[in-house]
Amino acid sequence: MTMSALSRPGERDRLVVKFTQIDWTFAIALCLLAGTGALMMFSVAGSSWEPWAGPHLFRFGFCFVLMIALALFDVRVWFALAYPIYGLGLLLLLAVEFVGDTRMGATRWLDLGFMSFQPSEVMKVGIVLALARFYHGISAEDARLSWWLIIPALMIAAPVLLVAHQPDLGTAMLIALTGAAVVVLAGLSWKIIGAAVISFVAAVPIMVMFVLHEYQRARVLTFLDPESDPSGSGYHILQSKIALGSGGFFGKGYGLGSQSQLNFLPEKHTDFIFATLAEEFGFLGCALVLALFAAVIFMALRTASLAHSHFGRLAAAGVTATFTLYVLINGAMVMGLAPVVGVPMPLLSYGGTVMLTVMIGWGLVQSVRVHRYTEVTSGKGAFV
Amino acid sequence: MSEPSIFFSEVNERQGAFHRRSFLLGGFAGAGLLALGGRLAHLQLLEAQRYQKLSASNQFNFRLVPPPRGLIVDRNGAVLATNRPNFRLLVVKDGEHEPGETLKTLAHFVPLDEARQERLMREFERTPNRTPVSVMEDMTWEQFSAINVRAPEMPNVTADMGEVRVYPHGGAFAHVIGYVAKVNREDLTETGPNSEAILLHPGFRIGRQGVEKAFDLDLRGRTGARKVEVDARGREIRNDTDGDIPAAPGKTVELTLDVDIQNRALEVMGDESGAIVVMDCRSGDLLCMVSAPSFDANRFVRGLSTAEYRALADYERRPLLDKAMSGTYPPGSTFKMTTALAALAAGINPEERIHCSGGWRFGGRTWRCWRHGGHGAQNMHDAIKNSCDVYFYQVALRMGPDHIARAAKALGFGQAFDIGIPGQRTGVVGSTDWKRTQVKRDPTWHPGDSVSYGIGQGYITANGLQLAVMTARLANGRKQLNPRLVKSVGGVEMPPGDEVPNLPFSQEHLDYVRAGMIAVANDRSGTAFRQSQLGLGDVLMAGKTGTAQVRSYDGVANRDSRSVRWGLKDHNLYVAFAPIDQPRYAISVIIQHGGLGGATAAAPRAREVMRVALLKDPEIRARIVQPMPLPDVTDLPPVGEAPEGAVAAPPPLDPGEPT
Repeated sequence: MTMSALSRPGERDRLVVKFTQIDWTFAIALCLLAGTGALMMFSVAGSSWEPWAGPHLFRFGFCFVLMIALALFDVRVWFALAYPIYGLGLLLLLAVEFVGDTRMGATRWLDLGFMSFQPSEVMKVGIVLALARFYHGISAEDARLSWWLIIPALMIAAPVLLVAHQPDLGTAMLIALTGAAVVVLAGLSWKIIGAAVISFVAAVPIMVMFVLHEYQRARVLTFLDPESDPSGSGYHILQSKIALGSGGFFGKGYGLGSQSQLNFLPEKHTDFIFATLAEEFGFLGCALVLALFAAVIFMALRTASLAHSHFGRLAAAGVTATFTLYVLINGAMVMGLAPVVGVPMPLLSYGGTVMLTVMIGWGLVQSVRVHRYTEVTSGKGAFV
Repeated sequence: MSEPSIFFSEVNERQGAFHRRSFLLGGFAGAGLLALGGRLAHLQLLEAQRYQKLSASNQFNFRLVPPPRGLIVDRNGAVLATNRPNFRLLVVKDGEHEPGETLKTLAHFVPLDEARQERLMREFERTPNRTPVSVMEDMTWEQFSAINVRAPEMPNVTADMGEVRVYPHGGAFAHVIGYVAKVNREDLTETGPNSEAILLHPGFRIGRQGVEKAFDLDLRGRTGARKVEVDARGREIRNDTDGDIPAAPGKTVELTLDVDIQNRALEVMGDESGAIVVMDCRSGDLLCMVSAPSFDANRFVRGLSTAEYRALADYERRPLLDKAMSGTYPPGSTFKMTTALAALAAGINPEERIHCSGGWRFGGRTWRCWRHGGHGAQNMHDAIKNSCDVYFYQVALRMGPDHIARAAKALGFGQAFDIGIPGQRTGVVGSTDWKRTQVKRDPTWHPGDSVSYGIGQGYITANGLQLAVMTARLANGRKQLNPRLVKSVGGVEMPPGDEVPNLPFSQEHLDYVRAGMIAVANDRSGTAFRQSQLGLGDVLMAGKTGTAQVRSYDGVANRDSRSVRWGLKDHNLYVAFAPIDQPRYAISVIIQHGGLGGATAAAPRAREVMRVALLKDPEIRARIVQPMPLPDVTDLPPVGEAPEGAVAAPPPLDPGEPT
């Protein structure tokens, strides 16, 4: 199938054409990452599909199919649903505030009877969609600096504050940074960006000392000096660094990582799976996986730049920004460069919710790719 | 109105801004990933060795293994203290499992009553995390396997096999060898051997008394270690046997004691309280050192209950006291050889006769002889043979205390011997100097003090060991023998007891006194003739009886102590050596509050123990062609083995108890 076929309106609406327009190299990269995750889970479970590797692959398979399905949805559907999804997410966050399930001191879950889920996950995609939708409708001039900017600021602030209040600082931070990324991508004035960065840097120490919960503060402080409490909060960071460092260049060998196999490494199959990988496959394995992540990010960014609609561009780039933040924050945490915040490594880590969120995001990106020539007009001509 | 050009430029402007910014995002992502890669390179390439070391120290752990405690054996290699396997139950406080809950679960499998559970909970509070606490020792095989089968459900419980100290001869050696017990907090020190980590091991025991305490460091051995792979909770996953450091067993401590003599000595003591010490008259080796009643040291290893301990501590015959070393008693008439030697050295003519009429007036009171009727005119030889008190009253008075003290010290009174174990009490050797410095309320030596001193009463006390040393020195006849209890440690011979200077007495005087002792046991009129017949042919025994009063006889019509309560009865003593021609073994027997005479209560026991010692000696055995069975003690004395020329008829009925 050629580009020309895609540029012909009648042709590009055919399902087969859409199907071929999905970035299959990108899809294979995703499969490789998820497969690597399953490989490590198989190892740390003592060469067993149970309890992690099997379910991980099964979920990925389900999410992969979902991603393909979402890619075939017209980008105008996404456009039309942008505000409703954001609004629904906000309502669910409010619901959590009042009727949410409290586990381990944090109210993050909504019990739906058959399953419980975290509305904050909806918001990760919702904020990208809503901001892309918003910036689609305003001019570059307004996007740079105008009174209109109060609206995206409020759109970001509302979910961030609600999630932070649960409290789930990691997700709140992620939503805030994702939102900020979209605002910056849309063309925010450098003056505002500079001022925001400076005031944020100034605010961090105050936040740490006065706003954070005790356990959150402890995490940050032990990050700054992990050896101060090697058996307490600093334990995670220290053990993770030992796992990484002891892997050396070639690693200890598959299934031979003593740190992960003997449980010295905490959360070895979820947040710290990258350390498991580093221990058993060494620098070589890590470099390959980081390269895969880089490839995924750059393919997604290229998809964003190909889109003709401003909505598509911003939505795809926003999702990519979220993914990049996940990778960088988890990597920095595992390597002892950031406090332990509970952000998993996307696709590698065990955990259904995050995988679902990420793959829905990639579904949106692929939809943008498949419909990159589709005209998206604000208001009129919308699909719905 | 919107112009298309403006519209398009506006669109292009938005697109251009996005492209510039998305390059920025790409750059940010690339920089971030590169930073991660750089960090990885730093950790995995530059610092890999450091982290590999940390990882190995996580993964591998050395678990201390207590070394097998050294054996304690007798002079022939018979085992007196050894170790046997012990199934024990350990619970570790791992911070995850509540020890109280664990104990409740364990109570289904092993007997753990409430009181014991409470005691253990207190112990858990004291012990640091990850240090195992011994919940039960000596489980049966059934209990051991029942726990082991359920081990996966109870990760903080281990049932393993350790070693426990065992004393095969129970009570006979309890005082000499002592026992081992759990380490107390008071035992731990900051530095030195008691600071080692192995002391915290639940299987480790520390010597508490006697040889176990004195030679604790030699018996301990070198701690070993097992290299084990552990998981994050400290549970063992695998044992890396190649990395094990074997434990070196402790040194063997060889004693000079003889298990047969020691056991027989405890047997003959029966219910009586007292001590028996047997010493080699040529080498100074102690063949027997028994204190009765005794206790089972094995009970102490397991840990005594309060009730058991109280029963032992409160019994008036004091089983926990080592009467051979720590109990001091007036030597009574067994001291008369010392008085005699002192008198000879002071120039008193032994052939001078002193008349005994059963009592002697001096200092406003009558000093009675044990024999109411009196002995008549006695020279020194007769006085020893008959144990005449009146003779020694007067001799002692004549020469004064300092001559006696000199002789007593030369024979071993008043001193503690270096036998390797602590606990000896020196007793008292009276002299004018001693009384001036030690007796504050009456520092003057009165003539009356000398009178009782002469018969081993008053300011003279001794322990069983000193009496044996005295007898051995007299029997040896030349050397100032020292006792030796520990023959070798780890194969290294300890200094013998016969490399000593000679006694400060002339050979003539020693022979004279020895002749007196021979007469006591072999002359038909000697005080212990009947009770000193060994029945071993021409192997004969010499001895001296003693009865030490513990209450004043003033105003007491009846000296017979059979009717008074135990604590007021006389002590009965007997010292002896054999054979008389080539002295080989010396023995001292103390029967605390025996209430009979030295001849009746102590001498038969000495004879029995001496027979065992002699019969084990190959040289002596060769001399005895056909040892005759010994008749019952209460029967009339045997005649067959009596010395040449002895008359077969029994001596007339004892007029009283010889002292």
